[in-house]
Amino acid sequence: MNNGTRLPSRKAAKGSFVMAAMVAGALLGGGTAVAATTHMLETGSSLLYPLFNLWVPAYAKVNPNLKITTQSTGSGTGISQAISGIAQIGASDAYLSNAQMMAHKGMLNIPLAISSQMINYNVPGLNGDHLKLSANTIADIYEGKVKYWDNAMIAKTNPGVKLPHKMIVPVHRTDGSGDTFIFSQYLSFSTPSWNKAVGYGTTVSWPAVPGSQGAVGNPGMVATLKTTPYSIAYIGVSFRNAIKEAKMGEARIGNRDGNYVLISNKTVSDAVVAMAKKTPADERISLIYAPGKSAYPIVNYEYAIVKEKQASKEVAEHMRKFFTWAMSAEHGNSKHFMEQVGFVPLPAAIRELSRKQIEKIH
Amino acid sequence: MSFRSISFKPMRFKTWMAVIAGGVPASLAAIILFLVIYSWPAAHVNGIGFIFRDTWNIGNVYANPIQVNGVTIMPGARYGILFLIAGTLLSSLIALLLAVPVGVGAAIFLAEVVRGKLRTVMSVIVELFAAIPSVVYGLWGYVVLVPLLGHHVYPFMAKTLSWLPFFGGLPGSGYGLLTAGIVLAMMIVPLIASILRDALISQPAALREAAMALGATKFETVWRVLLPGTRTVLIGATILALGRALGETMAVLMVSGGALNYLPSNIYSPVSTMAAFIVSQLDSALQDPTQMAVRSLAEIALILLIISIGVNALARGILKVWSFAGNPAGAVQR
Repeated sequence: MNNGTRLPSRKAAKGSFVMAAMVAGALLGGGTAVAATTHMLETGSSLLYPLFNLWVPAYAKVNPNLKITTQSTGSGTGISQAISGIAQIGASDAYLSNAQMMAHKGMLNIPLAISSQMINYNVPGLNGDHLKLSANTIADIYEGKVKYWDNAMIAKTNPGVKLPHKMIVPVHRTDGSGDTFIFSQYLSFSTPSWNKAVGYGTTVSWPAVPGSQGAVGNPGMVATLKTTPYSIAYIGVSFRNAIKEAKMGEARIGNRDGNYVLISNKTVSDAVVAMAKKTPADERISLIYAPGKSAYPIVNYEYAIVKEKQASKEVAEHMRKFFTWAMSAEHGNSKHFMEQVGFVPLPAAIRELSRKQIEKIH
Repeated sequence: MSFRSISFKPMRFKTWMAVIAGGVPASLAAIILFLVIYSWPAAHVNGIGFIFRDTWNIGNVYANPIQVNGVTIMPGARYGILFLIAGTLLSSLIALLLAVPVGVGAAIFLAEVVRGKLRTVMSVIVELFAAIPSVVYGLWGYVVLVPLLGHHVYPFMAKTLSWLPFFGGLPGSGYGLLTAGIVLAMMIVPLIASILRDALISQPAALREAAMALGATKFETVWRVLLPGTRTVLIGATILALGRALGETMAVLMVSGGALNYLPSNIYSPVSTMAAFIVSQLDSALQDPTQMAVRSLAEIALILLIISIGVNALARGILKVWSFAGNPAGAVQR
């Protein structure tokens, strides 16, 4: 019973185990080398999460040797885990800031799809009317300057509509969110007073409006809107069916050219095409408040935040192939996937920019 | 060799026990130390105004960072959490005001009114309530309580109770201070009831018999003899309950309305609590490249810890004073 006899026997056991594993591997691989499975972790944006959950099983059929695990954690977590290397793909509704790019060299911002955002309201009797709201009006509602639904600013853009004299309940996200980012950017780009007083970000310092409400997540926004008459909310396009089922209103909102538009493939594409020429090589740009007669004003790229330098050549190769598949119009960016989540495919010019960025992954 | 190891065993046992026993306070100290070190730069920039200001603004994260007091922050960043401290303390206070009378009543009912099998069954049910995860209470509050209160109860209350301070004004939509207090109360009533029930049952039978012999009614026996004897237990249970209410996160997040940067104007106003705020803001705080936002969240955690410890210490102080006055013998003499 001394250690001298124990150790060799353990070694022997280990050795035989390795042998057995090798034999098993040889049998499974049919005598040739076994192709190793590569694991990848995707975390971040809850808006991109449903799309990744459609992509991953579809791509598993193309390449069964890549196993992608998806997690919905929020864009901020996705970015920070992609930077630290815990996750290989950080899904984000927003691109990295200059400061973040400076602090973490070698990060890529690759657009995967195009999302948009609705402005919804719950005004009993008028929910089918697609009320017209200008960006300035929406900013003034969230700043507490426009307090009632029959305010002159709303009446002016909706002639002939009988607006109720009821207090407006502005609803905003209380969790940090890409939706808050693009919504506050829309108000900042269109309304100087908002830009000065509030600005934009994934969380903003909301003006204290009496009766205003906070909600967690897009499902929380839908629920609060539904249970709160005379409220207004900003909600990601993926929840359009939920809004229709709840019989809530979707506003026509003012764009840069002064027209009032609803989300459609055409209005969103018009905005993207207008901004595609301006998109720089690193693809960090806001698509909010794009010019164009029928351009929808709240549109954004959904990004994959990844490191140029991956842990190994295999991981890098798998990642390049996956992104190429995800971005192609026949596969990942096809109507089949995009329509299920309310997204719009990337235009050809952007796919070309993204292709160049993907080539940098090594 | 084997002899040696046996002779060393008691020594080793003691050492291991010391390590294990020391581990608990050591890990607490480590957490506090971490929070202090991690939040230090934030505390340096935020100053004492952190607990007196009503602004939480992580600044323009897309601008270039600037230097303030030698610390790098984003332009426009400004942190103050008075509204969180107020929301936390007020919602817990409402929860205690609602839960203590109900909990005491339930405990008296279980210990003194029902007997036999019914008592066992009902006691088990109360204990089961204490074991329900808080998020279930939150979901129930979100789906059932909020629409009910917001559409029917609060508008009625705001109208009829408008003469009471903080009960008039805008009734809101159901998400807010009172709803958070009610959900918290639902969570802590079983805690208070089950602890106090055990204490009441374990009161010596002689006390009951003596009170009855003096001609006391059942109510007088409970109110003047049994309850005073369990006063310390009640305070202890209330402290436990308060601790749970102060730190409760998910249930509060779901029904509080998530107020940002303003104090509640009445009992229906939306509020945020410190614990819920840390969860809801962590993701966007991570986007601040200077880390000041996450460090300020750590400062909130530190203050929450200090408040919890402070409340506990205060309650223990009260306990010490009262435990002399509240002994059963003294109660019988009265």
